[in-house]
Amino acid sequence: MEVTNKNDKNSILCLWNLSKSFGKMKIVNDISFELKKGESFALLGPSGCGKTTLMRIIAGLIEEYDGKIENNAQKVGYVFQEPRLIPWKTVIDNLKFVEENEEKILNILKSLKLYEFANSMPSKLSGGMKQRVNLARALIVEPELLLLDEPFASLDVHLKISIILDIIEKRKDMSFSMIVVTHDVREALLLADRIYLLSDKPTSIVDEINVLNVPKDISNPEFLEMESQILSKIMRRWSV
Amino acid sequence: MDNLWKYLLGIVVIFITWTLISYIVGSSLILPDPLTVIRTIATELKRLEVIFALLTTLSKVAVVLAITVSIGVTIGFFVGLNDTIYDVLRPGILVIQAIPIITWLALVMFIWGIGWLGPVIVSILSLLPHTILSTAIGIRTTDKRLIEMAKVYRVKPSRVAKDIYMGSVLPQFLSAMQVIIGNVWKVVVVAEYMCGDKGIGVLIAWARQSVAVEKVYAYTAIIITIGLLVENVMNQFVMKILKNWELV
Repeated sequence: MEVTNKNDKNSILCLWNLSKSFGKMKIVNDISFELKKGESFALLGPSGCGKTTLMRIIAGLIEEYDGKIENNAQKVGYVFQEPRLIPWKTVIDNLKFVEENEEKILNILKSLKLYEFANSMPSKLSGGMKQRVNLARALIVEPELLLLDEPFASLDVHLKISIILDIIEKRKDMSFSMIVVTHDVREALLLADRIYLLSDKPTSIVDEINVLNVPKDISNPEFLEMESQILSKIMRRWSV
Repeated sequence: MDNLWKYLLGIVVIFITWTLISYIVGSSLILPDPLTVIRTIATELKRLEVIFALLTTLSKVAVVLAITVSIGVTIGFFVGLNDTIYDVLRPGILVIQAIPIITWLALVMFIWGIGWLGPVIVSILSLLPHTILSTAIGIRTTDKRLIEMAKVYRVKPSRVAKDIYMGSVLPQFLSAMQVIIGNVWKVVVVAEYMCGDKGIGVLIAWARQSVAVEKVYAYTAIIITIGLLVENVMNQFVMKILKNWELV
């Protein structure tokens, strides 16, 4: 995959030939892509293929790697796989940890149906609520780039769909760029404009699928058709 | 209320056992009976010299606690932050922790002789390693995922220290405080006994020299009572803080 548009001001994130090894084990192999302002990518790969490692490199949590990254986003929001809430702080104080403006916090809590839990401790929240707070924390910083690292993995379908709809809604309002890491085709289709299909470890991009014009509606025949096409690609690529 | 009755019953059991053993031993030079000791306490607490000695011991305890906590927590915080520093310093701290109080006493007496400073220095040296290690362990057991989260959101280090590390260290620190407060009285009194010029430990040394065994028991009982009271208040304070922080 070659990135040619190196100096595009419209570019939020560029990866050139990114590779990462831990000791002798190569985890990420020669990944290149460019994310433009307002775009949304899904990195769709099998469990344990190195998607999270890739995301951690993008977020600056892993600083040693081969290749080059140009991150033009001043503010990055990260929805972690697990909520990562400070256990001894209330919901509102968890958000204050990253953003002081109380009015903004209350607005985001209202919009994500968390207002009545503002003074609750994380231990009193359900898994879905905790993930909503995780999302609220990522959105409160008004990110130019939102990273989602399999945030729905532990949620049931109802909660998953509800949070995905919240994200779609927020993206319309805030027009941030987004990268979602997932092994779920449906999540990828709902959240992304483009899907990069990743191989197993060491992970690399094996296919690129444009899904911008696919309706974000799981009952739509076009959506279901695309889902089925991607699944058949996966059957071939992931040696299922 | 139920607990209070059990507590009082426990005290009654102690007194009955003490009376029985004292009766069996049959020598007030070895073990005076509780009533004699209580009468001695009442008499001694009316003497200005004893009150002054008690205040001197209390002031030493306060100084030792203040210095041990401030230095111990500061050093422990930085030791805990860095794996290399922790690994390099930990054996040394453990060695210092294992040194018997009597060795410190000997050294302190050589350097400072008899006086106020000796017991304070000995007590700090005895209690500091535990405070440092407890704080360092608290820092090291901090959930690294929270630190990563703070890094992604570019939260200021001072805020990370206050909001993440402090909450993580708190249970370790408070349990260290419970241990220190439980021990500081013993250490200070022993140090006063060996190298002090004022304080309850010194009074015990004088009572021993004049074979006033009931006074030795009376001073000891006074220190035990104050120690238990402070420990009890500390325990309640600790529980309150831990509940406020949702850590219990």
